[in-house]
Amino acid sequence: MREALPAHKPWFAASLWEWIFTTDHKKIGIMYGVTSTVFFIVAGLMALGMRLELFSPGADYIKPETYNWFLTVHGAVILLWWAIGIWAAFANFLIPLMIGARDVAFPRLNALGYWMFFAASVIALLTFIPGNQIMTMWTGYPPLASTEGIGFAGQTALFVFIWHLTGFASIAGAVNFITTVISMRQPGLGFFNLNLFIHGIMAANVIQLLGVPSVAGAVTMLFLDTYLNTSFFDPARGGDPILYQNLFWFYSHPAVYVMVLPAFGVISEVVSALARKPIFGYRSMVVAIWAIALVGFLVWTHHMFVSGIPDWVKILMSYTTLLIAVPTGIKIFNWVATLYKAAIQYKTPMLYALGAILMFLIGGLTGIPLGIPAFDIAVHDSYFVVGHFHYVLGMAVTLSAFAGFFYWWPKITGKMYSEGLGKLSFWIVMIGSNLLYFAQLIIGIWGMPRRYYDYPPIESWVTLHQIQTYGAFILAFGILLAIVALIKGALSGEKAPNNPWQSNSLEWQLPSPPPPHNFDEPPKVDKDFCPHGYCKF
Amino acid sequence: MKLILGLLAFSALAIASEADVVARPYDLWDLMYKIWLVISVIIYAVVAIPSLYFMIKYRFKPGEREVGDQEHEGHWGLEALWTIVPLIIVLYLATHGFAIFTQMRKPPENAMELKVTAFAWGWIFQYPNGKMVIAQAIKDTEDKKCKPEECYSIDGVFQNYVYIPAGVPIKAVLTSQDVIHSFYVQAAGVTQDMVPGRTTYTWFQINKPGEYWVFCREYCGQWHARMFAKLKVVPKEEFEKWLRGEVASLENAQLAKNKAQEVAR
Repeated sequence: MREALPAHKPWFAASLWEWIFTTDHKKIGIMYGVTSTVFFIVAGLMALGMRLELFSPGADYIKPETYNWFLTVHGAVILLWWAIGIWAAFANFLIPLMIGARDVAFPRLNALGYWMFFAASVIALLTFIPGNQIMTMWTGYPPLASTEGIGFAGQTALFVFIWHLTGFASIAGAVNFITTVISMRQPGLGFFNLNLFIHGIMAANVIQLLGVPSVAGAVTMLFLDTYLNTSFFDPARGGDPILYQNLFWFYSHPAVYVMVLPAFGVISEVVSALARKPIFGYRSMVVAIWAIALVGFLVWTHHMFVSGIPDWVKILMSYTTLLIAVPTGIKIFNWVATLYKAAIQYKTPMLYALGAILMFLIGGLTGIPLGIPAFDIAVHDSYFVVGHFHYVLGMAVTLSAFAGFFYWWPKITGKMYSEGLGKLSFWIVMIGSNLLYFAQLIIGIWGMPRRYYDYPPIESWVTLHQIQTYGAFILAFGILLAIVALIKGALSGEKAPNNPWQSNSLEWQLPSPPPPHNFDEPPKVDKDFCPHGYCKF
Repeated sequence: MKLILGLLAFSALAIASEADVVARPYDLWDLMYKIWLVISVIIYAVVAIPSLYFMIKYRFKPGEREVGDQEHEGHWGLEALWTIVPLIIVLYLATHGFAIFTQMRKPPENAMELKVTAFAWGWIFQYPNGKMVIAQAIKDTEDKKCKPEECYSIDGVFQNYVYIPAGVPIKAVLTSQDVIHSFYVQAAGVTQDMVPGRTTYTWFQINKPGEYWVFCREYCGQWHARMFAKLKVVPKEEFEKWLRGEVASLENAQLAKNKAQEVAR
């Protein structure tokens, strides 16, 4: 067997060969980041295609099959590549630096995880070949996905393999990150003085480890039903399509916490560092993260409130769903309290993080009624749901990912990003996405069903769809500017200092960018070490 | 506590105006919606106003305010406050929602039963006396696309009005013939999935005569977006007359019969 190559060169000097065979967590993190971002852009362009089609009622530019394929790939890619994958990028790059380790616990498993993710990317690209499209939606409900001929669901096999490969990458990543944090911390770093980002990643990966097998089983049964004529989900032969929904959402609801808990971590890091103040209520923040991860496993049937499950289950899960609002609320209040008597520096990452908080609050408040069956019954599978999860994923997660990019850009590339372009991009993104997503909330309350290629020419609906399309293009321009601000910084920005934000956290005590083996000698960590931001430095 | 009492009083007011209810159980949904909206706007203001105030007041100022207050690391009293108050609010919301939902789901005893079977892409409506009406999606073909105003119109063959008596509760008994569909009566604010191999139900009552939309809300493939029906709500006497009469178009009767035979198989 081939020996793992030592990471003897910093990432920017490495050859292609070293990139391919690398086991260095920083290089793997960057590869995850590049893959995620490229797919984020692809999925975004597909969304623009859908918005153009919906600009006016009637069949305009594309066929319904194309629209359904766009929507399926947009959903799957944004969730699996962007909202989950981008945190694998940050986790890989940052975890060893934040806990004072030289690499992760299983570097080779880590590399294997990335290449599985890459294989899933290849399969996603295969759906671009005519005849290979998947039109199952990212949920792939049977019997639509498991029956050929009815409904035109496309190549279910590709849908299943995407889940298997990204699931494998998730489990490999989860085993690796959890082991790394448990066994490779510097002495002195305990449960209550780890970075909140690490708590977010840890909780997310525990969810991955417990949840992914459930969805992997569900899609495997879907595969068997489709191609080998089994009848897990076929009611004519004793199966039950609702079983799939239960297995699917048992993972896929907690998966939204896989997406959002690391985002909370990034917000906590950025807000405390740039408000130059310790995070308010650190302990309650930690407890809140783990409470969300735990209760997150007990709420999945709120995705199935109208699918025909018994009413008592709906009521039970309605209570558990609403309980999640409590730890989430604690986090929001603590962030606001962190701003009290702070010294807020309005750099680009801070703008993105504060925007993420205020937008996440809208996402959270619109999520509460969806957990109440009496409210949900009228808006289930409507644009209200679409608006809600875009406030959470399209705003809170995406804004925090960009906050993370800008915040750690000096550490990753050794160069400062372009501040003026960064700030401008933030305001454009905010205007565009609020036009887009708030219009979705309103049209959803009026009844517009989701996943519609065409809609009746009701005047108020047409207006709101047009507002959405304008918003989408403004948003796309903002994202483009943000990416330009980052790339311009990496190419021609000024050299970054080691610790531009004067943070206490360990990753900032290293040179920018960090040397191949991170720490020449293990960093000293006191018992009262405070990883957060500006405290006692 | 004051807030909760106020909201209860508010909901009592909202129920009192039942005389001009257009559709049920939309009135109950509307109540839930208003309660949520008021609470949400208050919560948003409670969080956003101090945030914006702090954001403006505590800016970094060179020489004057360069470091935040290091002593404010937490406050158990405050943290307990914003754990307990949201807990009370969500318990109230869930419980009030529970009460409203129980009312919403219970069809009145005098409800007329309407059997609805979904297929890709349309519905067969069967009335208690066996009369059937079909509502089928208007699809585009390679050479002919429908114009926007035609795609959702009633052509008498594929699309027919589904007659509903005004002021009479309707219990819709739902199932599907192929994939999962859904039945959403816009005016009544009820959605219910139609699952093959299962029977689900929902109920609604529309008091004001007129035309109302029904949409499919569960993604069901290529022409999901065109899967709609139009309810024609008419006074009870007119409905009885229609129910006894022949279906307007013979093609419709034949289509519905064919579809129903497929279902039976």
